[in-house]
Amino acid sequence: MPDIYTSDWYEAVKVAINEAVVKIPNAPKDSFTIQVEIVGDGKTPYVADGDMLRFLIRLEEGVCAWYREIDADDPSVKLNYRFTGPGSVFDSIAAGTSDPIDAALTGTIKVRGDMRFLMRQAEMVQVLLKAYSQGVDTTWPKGRPPYDGVG
Amino acid sequence: MTGWVEMVLKDTYDAIIIGAGHNGLTLGAYLARSGLEVLVLERRHEEGGGLCSEEVTQPGFVHNIHANYHTFVDMAPPVNDLDVRGHGVEYVRPEVQMASIFDDGTALTIHTDMDKTLASMARFSEKDAGTFQRLYGEAHGFIDLLLGTLMYQPPLNVKDLTKALATFGVEDRSEFLSVKLRRQTINQFLDKHFENDRIKAHLAFHGAVCSYTNDVAGLAIGYPLLIGKIDNWHLCVGGSHRLAHALWRDLAQHGGVMWSDAEVTNIIVEGGRAVGVRTADGIELKARKIVASTVSVEQTFLEFVNPGEIPDAFAKRVQNDVVHKDWSLFSVHMAMNAFPEYTAAEFDPDVNRAWVVNLGIESTAQMDRDWKTLRSGQLVDPQPNAAVNSLYDPVDAPAGFSTGLLRQFAPYALADGGAGAWDKMGRWYGHKCIEAWRRYAPNLTDDKIIDWSVFTPHDIATKLPNMVRGDWMMGEISLANMLDQRPLPELGQYRTPIQGLYMAGSTQHPHGFITFGPGYNALQVIADDIGIEKWWQQI
Repeated sequence: MPDIYTSDWYEAVKVAINEAVVKIPNAPKDSFTIQVEIVGDGKTPYVADGDMLRFLIRLEEGVCAWYREIDADDPSVKLNYRFTGPGSVFDSIAAGTSDPIDAALTGTIKVRGDMRFLMRQAEMVQVLLKAYSQGVDTTWPKGRPPYDGVG
Repeated sequence: MTGWVEMVLKDTYDAIIIGAGHNGLTLGAYLARSGLEVLVLERRHEEGGGLCSEEVTQPGFVHNIHANYHTFVDMAPPVNDLDVRGHGVEYVRPEVQMASIFDDGTALTIHTDMDKTLASMARFSEKDAGTFQRLYGEAHGFIDLLLGTLMYQPPLNVKDLTKALATFGVEDRSEFLSVKLRRQTINQFLDKHFENDRIKAHLAFHGAVCSYTNDVAGLAIGYPLLIGKIDNWHLCVGGSHRLAHALWRDLAQHGGVMWSDAEVTNIIVEGGRAVGVRTADGIELKARKIVASTVSVEQTFLEFVNPGEIPDAFAKRVQNDVVHKDWSLFSVHMAMNAFPEYTAAEFDPDVNRAWVVNLGIESTAQMDRDWKTLRSGQLVDPQPNAAVNSLYDPVDAPAGFSTGLLRQFAPYALADGGAGAWDKMGRWYGHKCIEAWRRYAPNLTDDKIIDWSVFTPHDIATKLPNMVRGDWMMGEISLANMLDQRPLPELGQYRTPIQGLYMAGSTQHPHGFITFGPGYNALQVIADDIGIEKWWQQI
């Protein structure tokens, strides 16, 4: 069971996504890059208050090709989407206790990019989000949201 | 080309844009910033289209003849991308955005401070104030998504949109969003969620001022977006035309040319492709890459394009199937030596600071009756909305003086005499509008009104012929004429049956108003088609 936001965890998420994608009939074969920005909000113990944890997710021909953490925007990477939100919200999504659609609808997580694709491929988006939020058995060395205990 | 025109204009540009309204200038400026040689041609003596500010009463009093309200400031990407503030535009967001004054002397006020808005609503209904707080909160949460999904992208199909809403389970997650909205009127939406007639009337009137008529089925689908920007109304200091001028400056700074008094009479088509235009004085200008029209569908395809260059069936659809609004706007522009002092200020002193005041709209039923009257070509007893820009604009009138703008919903063609009858009726109806205002602000006696001028629905169509039949949204606002169906399915993605010819004005999604949307969205399609790097999409 990988610790949240470690290489093993990113790899586990990648596997979970790809296992989910292959089950989608007629899944789109698009390629795109998403940057996720997790902002330290004083609640999450995984990102210092005010800091930002960034990682890229690359989907190629419909499956997750790679996942990597970055220190700053990489100008050589052309982003298709950018998701930005408070760390405690991302943590609770990864823990499966918060709903990412709710977070987007309430503006808690800001989504930038071509919304038309997300709307047209709503079923695939649902599957990907479910894989992210429920597909990995994550461990929480600094506490599981709502951070009331260690592990 | 001969003479001095030859010295100024080139024979050939990369892009020629017909119409220098805000959409044409926006598209032109982006293309110029992308390195294209751009020419924007304007029939009138100046750029701006509906962004026209003129001293139509007395010298020193600047009146926005058409566009007065800027509700997408800092939501529309071009505001920042084209640095309109850097080019001299100053926006003010009035603290008291809008008010409704009722016949018993009470008043409802919308503030930039939402707590004050809620307190004002609670005087009419605490329950409705709570509902509005939740609606506003929810709408504000998803407004970025709505703007990104619906406004500043080439449009989705309404079926794709509602299917996505269903897939994401939005109905279960949201108190106010529902796939059923696409079948509902704004009245039905308000009746479902609110109880107080006056609060409902205010909210419906706010929609109507944005052209969302409250009794039209399907328009509830756009209503949450209207609520999300209910407190984002901005005034352009010194007159709305300053925005047009800023866009022109951006265009010019990046090498683009705006040529006024240049009436296009023909789009030159060769081999099924638009390759240039011809002006009324016989000048032919060639376009290497694109021609874009921001004027009406009728002008573009029935006047500018020769018969035979478009399929007959398409020409017939332009003639028969392009639908225009069934009501227009009647305006009274006033130069005054006083500010209105409303009797309702005893109930709520903030009404005297309200930028826009709706007068005597008591219920949605009253509005419904008025729509029926207008659609039959009759005038209603005026209940105008009154904007006093000088409350927040220090330069639109001499110190101590003010401008006033009365807007009354009105038919384009009067049942008795048609549109031309406005020439006889305008002054009379303007006087009735002033009398209506005076009932709520009795200090505005004749000696306080230095001069006034009217701008009728017929005047709109005459001055701005792209607004066919005084249609200030350049196309009906209805579900059938929305998203990728606007203005016709063949044109819904900004491309046309003629290769290289694009539609980029308010005939297109999203619609009229100062949204920048049609020009910005057409840009996305043009960029895809001719291979422009989308430097403006900083995700």
